[in-house]
Amino acid sequence: MHHQIVRRAGAERETAWVLLASAAIIACAVAAVGLRPAPPPEPVAAAHQIDSRTGLTSAEQGLHADLKVAGAEIAALLRETGAAPKPAELAAQALPPFARDTSATARGSHAWTLAEAGHGVAYAGVSAAPELAGSMVLVLDTHGKDHAEPQVWLKRAAEAPPPGLDEKTLAAAGWKQVTATFTAGVTR
Amino acid sequence: MTSDTMNGTTMNRRRFLAAAAATGLVGAAGGARAAVPQRFGVTLHPYYSYVANVVGNLAEVVPIIPSGFNPHAYEPRPEDILRIGSLDAIVLNGIGHDDFAGRMIAASSKPALPVVEANADVPLLPAAGSAARASGKVVNPHTFLSITGAVLQVATIARELGRLDPANAESYAANARAYSRRLRLLRADALGKLASAGDARLRVATIHGAYDYLLREFGLEVAAVVEPAHGIEPSPAQLAETIRTMRALDVQVIFSELNFPSAYVDTIRRETGIRLYAFSHIAHGDYAADLFEREMTRNMDTLVQAMLEAKP
Repeated sequence: MHHQIVRRAGAERETAWVLLASAAIIACAVAAVGLRPAPPPEPVAAAHQIDSRTGLTSAEQGLHADLKVAGAEIAALLRETGAAPKPAELAAQALPPFARDTSATARGSHAWTLAEAGHGVAYAGVSAAPELAGSMVLVLDTHGKDHAEPQVWLKRAAEAPPPGLDEKTLAAAGWKQVTATFTAGVTR
Repeated sequence: MTSDTMNGTTMNRRRFLAAAAATGLVGAAGGARAAVPQRFGVTLHPYYSYVANVVGNLAEVVPIIPSGFNPHAYEPRPEDILRIGSLDAIVLNGIGHDDFAGRMIAASSKPALPVVEANADVPLLPAAGSAARASGKVVNPHTFLSITGAVLQVATIARELGRLDPANAESYAANARAYSRRLRLLRADALGKLASAGDARLRVATIHGAYDYLLREFGLEVAAVVEPAHGIEPSPAQLAETIRTMRALDVQVIFSELNFPSAYVDTIRRETGIRLYAFSHIAHGDYAADLFEREMTRNMDTLVQAMLEAKP
């Protein structure tokens, strides 16, 4: 006698395969997301630092950029002549922010003086309008082996920096070191 | 000779051979490598001027985008990618204005081409527009539209190209300083003309968020940017909102862009009665060593004129 088992009409097996496939896809996705490296943590600014992009007024941002240029130029002049140029000499060369022009007036009319710092020279600019731009100091390390990057410090008050001009004294007196970070294009 | 220096020499020789093999120069040029002028690529007009002034006639500057293409709407073409294969290094803006270049280099025959990040030392400003500002990640890539931004980039370019081409490093550094001094005097000239303007505190709006760096040099702050991004014209609702904002902000001057379709700029001018001036984005015309100086002189003249005319 011939027996044949006929399965009843239904889609259980197909459903099971589809569910299995879905589970596999979800598992893959979870694994991919889980294993993807997390973005590098944002560098956290120290308490005595301030970010030039987000922490400064527009006048301070302009001054900071100019001081970076001036730092490089002063370092070159130091190498050539061996003496630190006076602010008046830099102003005569039209080097911002030392030059007495409309821009200097619009950005707080800083009065610049040359000061001896612990390991080099510094240029202190006392602001006449701290609400526009705070007082600033450009510190150049001339004794280091490889002439460190010029540093720019800021305090939102019309006051001169404390003598000594090293990191600790400046930070203790409420000055903030201006930092700048490079961010590559987001669509690169 | 210490073992350190010997190791260094071996390493340098290995590196040199690898570089020579990559450029197909082994045998053909051999030790005469230094005599062959290097080829440095650039993507944007101002960078052509920077690099051309830094290298003088000691190296060749190669624009990878032919003049006449707008970098804002540029799509890489095979012949441009091919050109990258002939370069020794490339100088990039790298912060958003030539992001296509990275993919072009990757697709070229020299994916390991040395890249000079011109903006590595420039204090960057946040991009214009509320979305960009909120995330804080997107920066304004138009550092090349200012004198200070240019001087900082020229210094970086000279230093990095000097590292890649040590035989000419000193000349590059000297050229860069002379060029920077010239640029500085352009700015001093412009500011000299403003001496009579007194304490002109202008409230400024721009049609394109490209001029923050330039205006900041003159102590001006941008109160509003009308266009949210390049090539995106505001909808009528946005336009109405912008006009309301400008009236509320009491903006005195609007800076637009040369070669810009200005139907809606005219609308803003008509509705608000605010004076309008046009800056050059330095993205048009033939590549030339003096292009940056010419166009920036014109930009600063425009700015001076705006500030003098806005004088109460």
